[in-house]
Amino acid sequence: MASIARSALLRQVATAGPVPRQVIASSSRALPVATFHTSARRNLLPPLPQKVEGTVNDPAPVPEPSPSHGSYHWTFDRLVAASLIPLTVTPFAAGSLNPTLDALLCATILIHSHTGFQSIIIDYVPTWRMPRVRKLFNWGLKAATAVVGLALYEFETTDVGLVETVKRVWTA
Amino acid sequence: MIAQRAGTTALRRVVTAGKPNAFFNTNIAKLGLASSSLSSTTQQTRPVATQHLTPSEAQSILAKQRLQRPVSPHLDIYDKQQTWFGGSAWQRITGASFSGALYVFATAYLVAPLAGWHLESASLAAAMAGLPVAAKGGLKFLLAWPFVFHATNGVRHLLFDIGVGFKRRTIVQTGWYLWGASIVGGLYLAFFL
Amino acid sequence: MAALRSTSTRALLASARPSSLRIAAAGPIRGFAQLADGAQQSNVAAGDQPAAKLKTFQIYRWNPDQPTEKPRMQSYTLDLNKTGPMVLDALIRIKNELDPTLTFRRSCREGICGSCAMNINGTNTLACLCRIPNEDSSEMKIYPLPHTYVVKDLVPDLTQFYKQYKSIKPYLQRDTPSPDGKEYRQTKEDRKKLDGLYECILCACCSTSCPSYWWNSEEYLGPAILLQSYRWIVDSRDERTAQRKDALNNSMSLYRCHTILNCTRTCPKGLNPGLAIAKIKKEMAFS
Repeated sequence: MASIARSALLRQVATAGPVPRQVIASSSRALPVATFHTSARRNLLPPLPQKVEGTVNDPAPVPEPSPSHGSYHWTFDRLVAASLIPLTVTPFAAGSLNPTLDALLCATILIHSHTGFQSIIIDYVPTWRMPRVRKLFNWGLKAATAVVGLALYEFETTDVGLVETVKRVWTA
Repeated sequence: MIAQRAGTTALRRVVTAGKPNAFFNTNIAKLGLASSSLSSTTQQTRPVATQHLTPSEAQSILAKQRLQRPVSPHLDIYDKQQTWFGGSAWQRITGASFSGALYVFATAYLVAPLAGWHLESASLAAAMAGLPVAAKGGLKFLLAWPFVFHATNGVRHLLFDIGVGFKRRTIVQTGWYLWGASIVGGLYLAFFL
Repeated sequence: MAALRSTSTRALLASARPSSLRIAAAGPIRGFAQLADGAQQSNVAAGDQPAAKLKTFQIYRWNPDQPTEKPRMQSYTLDLNKTGPMVLDALIRIKNELDPTLTFRRSCREGICGSCAMNINGTNTLACLCRIPNEDSSEMKIYPLPHTYVVKDLVPDLTQFYKQYKSIKPYLQRDTPSPDGKEYRQTKEDRKKLDGLYECILCACCSTSCPSYWWNSEEYLGPAILLQSYRWIVDSRDERTAQRKDALNNSMSLYRCHTILNCTRTCPKGLNPGLAIAKIKKEMAFS
């Protein structure tokens, strides 16, 4: 009822740009496929011919410290993952989840998905190799997550909630 | 290395027993040859002509050689247990599939009113109810197995992160338990819930 | 003489061989044991020669002198009765007797130099510590370390690996002199923290078993170098702990480790690079 997306104006805003939406959809669909291919054959990231920077006696370059991409990111990631444990166990134990917790579950899953995709991009679209494609993927992922966030908000506010939906579909 | 050692052993044996054998004789010839060539001239003779190179020239030859080097095989030849059944790889595959599905569904849900699709929970449940039993069970297992796998392996990885379960045997064992547990758990969720 | 006797008794106890072989077991077993050796082995009957135990080795070959030719697998068959027990023995024998062009690194033949690291039957290990399984007659496959640039045959180029090792400054860094002016002392507990770390011989088996390192060896340091890094981070005598951690605090150097743990499973020295990396991550979690 109170959903932002049910108002015609916001609906138009949310779907105003058809081109970026397509990009998002294809990129988010392409990711799992890309992951699979890396473990199938060496099609993705075929190794380049060997080049050695500097002489053999020069150390490899050490990057600048950036905890937000390093330790903080890692810790945050683990905390999110750990907080998913009680949030997934509760519905199994209690049979349902109250709307606040359900919304929290959705948000946590969204963050967890985002960081998961992010680490896939970091692994398979390395900056040292294809900086522009990497940038494209990063922004594509951010846009996709924003869209999905909006969609989940709408889903949570207009529909019965994630846990309840899964339950209904499962017992159908 | 082994030939050398065998040679010295033979030598020692000859000294103690005073009984030369066939093996020793062949070696003594070589030894004599080596010592005579050493005494006759101190300079090495090389049948191949060499060419003097500056360090930068040598470097450029090396750089050219590097460009031609092949990369040794990896995924194709590495222990299948660790590559194809690796918990970590499947953690990524299951997680990315789920998240990808979520992203696709959520985007579709946002577009649904415009496109005239029905993706509300009620219509999803109705669609599920309309499926034959086998398809229903299969679809449920297809969703339940990766879910259980990702969840249990997620806990395993969190335990790794706090430094638990790093013994080699534990890693291998929990890796196999994971597959068993996820299949059993998936079947349970699909058919008994 | 005493040593010889003890070897032969042990061999007898272990395999309960017929007593006619007693002296043969005491002599040099490898290589030339079959050569008639005067009176000593005269009591070994010619008919006692065991049947040939043939084993085929498939070995990765690539020659830089013919760079356009694709790498190929070449088979060599050896009689295991005449070969030492380890894969390195077989390789040396192939090189000596079958094909002198076969190229591989080796030095100490006792697992302390790390030269003969290669991929044997799917896992990385040191050829000198890897027994030839003689209970089955299946072929053995030997490749160079996975996802490395091949110099020739089984010789990988480890330039990047060594450059990365250099980048973590693998030496003691401190400013304050020791109190007694003689040596930097350490408690027994602090010394104990280095156990399982200092034994690493940098053979690169673990790093080249790591899929993350396969894809991102340009920037990700890999298990071996991270284990070495941890060896200096936990060293109580080192005073650059914070800088060492800072050097790892980015998305690539350390955090491309996804606890795949192929490293721990492959280490020929029985060390635990995976655990060392987990400990670094834990120590850095809130810094």
